[in-house]
Amino acid sequence: MSELKIINNATCTFCGCVCDDIQLHSDGNRIHKAVKACVLGKAWFLNHTGDKKYPDAIVDGKETSVEEAIQVSADLLYDADMPLVYGMSNTTCEAQKECVALADQLCGLLDSHTSL
Amino acid sequence: MLRVTGGKVFDPANGINGEVRDLCVDQGRFVGSVDGGKTIDATGMVIFPGGVDVHTHVAGGSINFARAMTPEDHRRTQAFIRTKTRRSGIGGMAPTTFATGYLYAGMGFTTVNEAAVPVLSARHTHEELSDIPIVDKSSLVLMANNEILLDLIEKGELERAKQVLAWYVSSAKAYGVKAVNPGGVAAWKYGNDAKTLTETISGYKTLTPGNVVTNLAKLVDELGFPHPIHLHCNNLGAPGNISTTIETMKHLEGHRAHLAHLQYHAYGGDDWTTMRSEAAQLAEYFNAHPNMTTDAGAVLFGDTVTITADGPWQHLLYKLTGRKWGNLDVENETGCGIVPYTYKPSNLVNAVQWAVGLELLLLIDDPWRVFLSTDHPNGACFWRYPEIVKLLMCADFRNECMRKLPVSIMNKITLPEITREYTLYEIATIMSAGPARALGLKQKGNLGIGADADIVIYNQEDDVEHMFGHPRYVIKGGEVVIEEGEIRETPDGREFIVQPKYESDTEAFLQPLFEELYTMQFENYPVEMERIEHPDIQECVPVE
Amino acid sequence: MQKSKHLPAGRKDRTMVLVDIRETKSVKASDVFLQVRPGKDFELITLLRAMLREQKVTDDQIAETGLTREQCVDFLDRAKAAKFGVFFFGMGLSMTRGKHMNSAALLTLAAELNAFTKFVAMPMRGHGNVTGADVIMRWQTGYPFGITFNRGYPRYNPGEFSTVDVLVRGDTDCAFIIGADPGATMPQPAIDHMAKVPTIVLDPHVTHTSKLAKVHITTAPAGIAAPGTAYRMDEIPLPLKPAIDSPYPSDEEVVRRINEAVAQKADWLGTRPQSIQHQPIS
Repeated sequence: MSELKIINNATCTFCGCVCDDIQLHSDGNRIHKAVKACVLGKAWFLNHTGDKKYPDAIVDGKETSVEEAIQVSADLLYDADMPLVYGMSNTTCEAQKECVALADQLCGLLDSHTSL
Repeated sequence: MLRVTGGKVFDPANGINGEVRDLCVDQGRFVGSVDGGKTIDATGMVIFPGGVDVHTHVAGGSINFARAMTPEDHRRTQAFIRTKTRRSGIGGMAPTTFATGYLYAGMGFTTVNEAAVPVLSARHTHEELSDIPIVDKSSLVLMANNEILLDLIEKGELERAKQVLAWYVSSAKAYGVKAVNPGGVAAWKYGNDAKTLTETISGYKTLTPGNVVTNLAKLVDELGFPHPIHLHCNNLGAPGNISTTIETMKHLEGHRAHLAHLQYHAYGGDDWTTMRSEAAQLAEYFNAHPNMTTDAGAVLFGDTVTITADGPWQHLLYKLTGRKWGNLDVENETGCGIVPYTYKPSNLVNAVQWAVGLELLLLIDDPWRVFLSTDHPNGACFWRYPEIVKLLMCADFRNECMRKLPVSIMNKITLPEITREYTLYEIATIMSAGPARALGLKQKGNLGIGADADIVIYNQEDDVEHMFGHPRYVIKGGEVVIEEGEIRETPDGREFIVQPKYESDTEAFLQPLFEELYTMQFENYPVEMERIEHPDIQECVPVE
Repeated sequence: MQKSKHLPAGRKDRTMVLVDIRETKSVKASDVFLQVRPGKDFELITLLRAMLREQKVTDDQIAETGLTREQCVDFLDRAKAAKFGVFFFGMGLSMTRGKHMNSAALLTLAAELNAFTKFVAMPMRGHGNVTGADVIMRWQTGYPFGITFNRGYPRYNPGEFSTVDVLVRGDTDCAFIIGADPGATMPQPAIDHMAKVPTIVLDPHVTHTSKLAKVHITTAPAGIAAPGTAYRMDEIPLPLKPAIDSPYPSDEEVVRRINEAVAQKADWLGTRPQSIQHQPIS
C-alpha cells in the first residue's frame, strides 16, 4: 500500500448539499477516512476503490473494450428515431455539457432526475 | 488576410467621419496593408467598428433563473436550429447562451460586459460566458454590499479594504467592480432599503451609502482597473429619486465613475401618479462633470423580464404587478429579484420611462459619455437596440411614437421639445467607440492599426432600424461571422480580466472571515485560470 | 453550526420546523414537529395562506390536515417573526397527491410571507449534481428538464418529453442512461420498455439498469476519481477533487468520444442557413 495522502477541502457529491470541507485520507486506491463527512458521505467515499471490479465495457452481455462500446453506442443512438438522454445526477457538469450536446446532435430527448 | 474596400468608414476613435477608406486585416487585427487574401467590396456601404455593450446581463445565476421562469416566451420566440458546427438555441427575453452570441453578433456587436456577478456566482458566470460564442466578454463582480468590505470601510481601514478588493476581483477573474444599491442590498437582509446617501445602513453603526460610494470609487481608481466603478445608484425606479442620483454624483467628485442605466434614476414627483422626467436636470449636472460616463438603460414598450441584484425594488415590482416573482439570495452580500414585466405606452409610469431614456441620450451632449443600453433584459432585450437607433436618428419617427402616449404625460417629459437627431458618427460613438473607451479596451471600438478586426458593414438604408438590425457583414477578429443576416462562423470569444496584485498577508487576513461568512471553503473559491475561455489579462494603471 | 453576524449563537438562533407524515429521526433535531395527514399538503398550505391573510378558516378544515388551529397560528407567528425564513421542500411534497401544485402553493406562501419578513423556498435536491444538470440545461436550452430537440432546437413539455412518460408510452427507441439507475426506481412499465429497446448505461457500477441494457461502460466515479464541477442545491458550483486513481475513463471523456463518433456520420438535419429574424414583440 502506498503512502496516505491527505486531501483537504474535498467536495462530497453524494447529496444535494455538496459539502466542500471534507478531509480525505487516501492511498490512491481507496479512501480510508473521510473526516467531517456525515454518515451518508462517509459511505459514499469509502465504498469506491480504484480496483478493477467490473469489466471496462459490456455489449450484449459480453466483455469488450471501451472503444468498441463507444462505437456501438454511437451507432445505436444515431440510428434511433427518438433517442433519449437521461439521468445526469451523479456526474460532473463537464459530462452533463457533453450530454446536452449529444441530445442536441441526435435531435433527441433530454431529461434529468428532476422530472421524476 | 482580408481587405475591405470602398466603404464609408465611421471610426470616431480616429476621427474618421464617413470617409472612404480601405481596411486591411491580418491575424485578426488591423494592419497597414495586406498582400493577397479575400477582398470584400463595400462600395456604398457604411462601416462601423464592432459594437460594444457596456452593461448587459447575459450570464450567471440571475439570467439563468429568468430563463427558468419564462418558458412561455421561449416557445413563441426565434429558435436557432442546430447544424454540424453550430449549437441550437432560443432567443427572446432571456436567450440561451449560444443564442446570445448569435443575436449580439447578428446586430454587429462583438464585445459584451456582463455587469453583475455575485462573488459566489463567479465560477458559474464564467461557465456561461464560455458558452456564449463569437463575442468577447468581460464581467464585473458585485462589491457594494460585501460584509467584509463594508466592515473595513466603516472602520476606516481603507488600505486593507483595497487589498481585499484586489483579492476578490483577482479570484473572481473579474474585469472590474460593480456596485448595486450600495448598502441597500445589505439592508434588504433586514427587509429594509437604503434610499438616501447619508442615512446609516441597517446593521451598521455609522456607515452610510455615501461612504461606500466614495470609498469604492477611490479604491477602484487606486487599483487602476481599466474600467472605473460601475455604479447602480440607490433608490432605483422610485419617483423623486433624482435627488438621490444627484447626491450620488456629488459623492463621486474627484473620481472616475460609470453610472449604469441612468434612465431608472432620473425621476421627479412624489408618487406614481405625479412621477415626471428629470432627465434635463440630470443631464445638466452630468454635462458639467466630465469624470463620469453613463449608459441609458432605455426602455422600449413590450414584454421583457426584469432582473436585478436590487432585491427590495423587485419585491415592490412584484407587489405592483402581481406577476411571477423570483428571489435569489446569495449568501453574504447579494441576491437577485426576477419579475417578468410588460412596458405599455398607455401606462403613465412606463411612458415617462420610455421618454427619459431617450431624453438622456439626446440631452447629454457628449456622445463619448452616454452609451446605448437597455440594461438588458430590464428595459428591453438587447436585440432591440436598432429600434433605439431609429428613435435617436429620426425626430419625425420619435414624434410619431409620442403621439401614442397619453396626453397627460406631455407636461411631465421634455422629449417633445427636443429636435436633435443623431448622426451616424454619433451612433458609432455611443454604440462602439465610447463604451470601448469607458471599459478601457483600447483594442475595441476602433478601426486603427493594431486594434481587433471587429467590423460591421451595413447597407446604407433610409430605414435605419432595418439597417442596424441587418448588417450586410459582421467580421469578428478578421473572420466573417454574419453575412446577409445569416450566421457563417461561430468562433469562441475570449474573456477580458484583470489580475490586480495584493499584499501577501491578505489571504491570511481574509480566510477566517471568509469561512465565517460563506458556506464555501476559502481554498475552493478562486476560479482557476484554466476555467476561463481564452483569458486576455488587461493591465491595471493606478489613476492619480 | 455556522455562526454569523445575524445569528451569532448559531443553532440556538435558528428554529427548525419539521413537517412530515410520520415521526422520523429528524424530529429529534427539530424544534417543532407538525404531523400532516398524507396527501393533505396542498390543503394545509392553502389554509396557512388564508390565515396569513386573516381570512376565515374553520376548525374542521384545519382538522382535516391533521393539525390544530394552535399549531397553525404558532407556525405563522414564528414564520412572521423570523428574520429570514426558508422552506426546504423535497419529494414528499412534489411526488405525492397534488405534485407540482403542492410546490406551487408552497412557493406562493413563501412569496406572500415577504409582506412580513424575508422568506424564500428551496427544493432539497436528492442526488449529487442534479442541480448542475438543471442549471446547464437552462443556460444551453432555456429549459431545466423534459426537453426534445426533435425539430433541431429545444422544446419543453413535462408530461410529454419527461422520461417516465416517454418510457411508459413506449415512445423512445434507444435510451442513454448516465449517472442514474432508473432500472431500480422507475415504474415497472418504464423498466420493461428500457429492456425492450437498446439501452446504453454509463456508471461506475454495474447497476440494475446495466443488467437490462445492451451496452454498459464503466466510468470513474465523479468527485472521487474523476475531476470536474458540481452544483450545490443553491446553485453554487464547487470544484471536485479526486482522491483515488481509477482504471476507468471519466463520464466526460466517454460522452465526448460518443459525440465525436456520432459527428463522423452524416448529419440528420444537413446544412441549412440560419437567418436572424426580427422577433415578435407583443
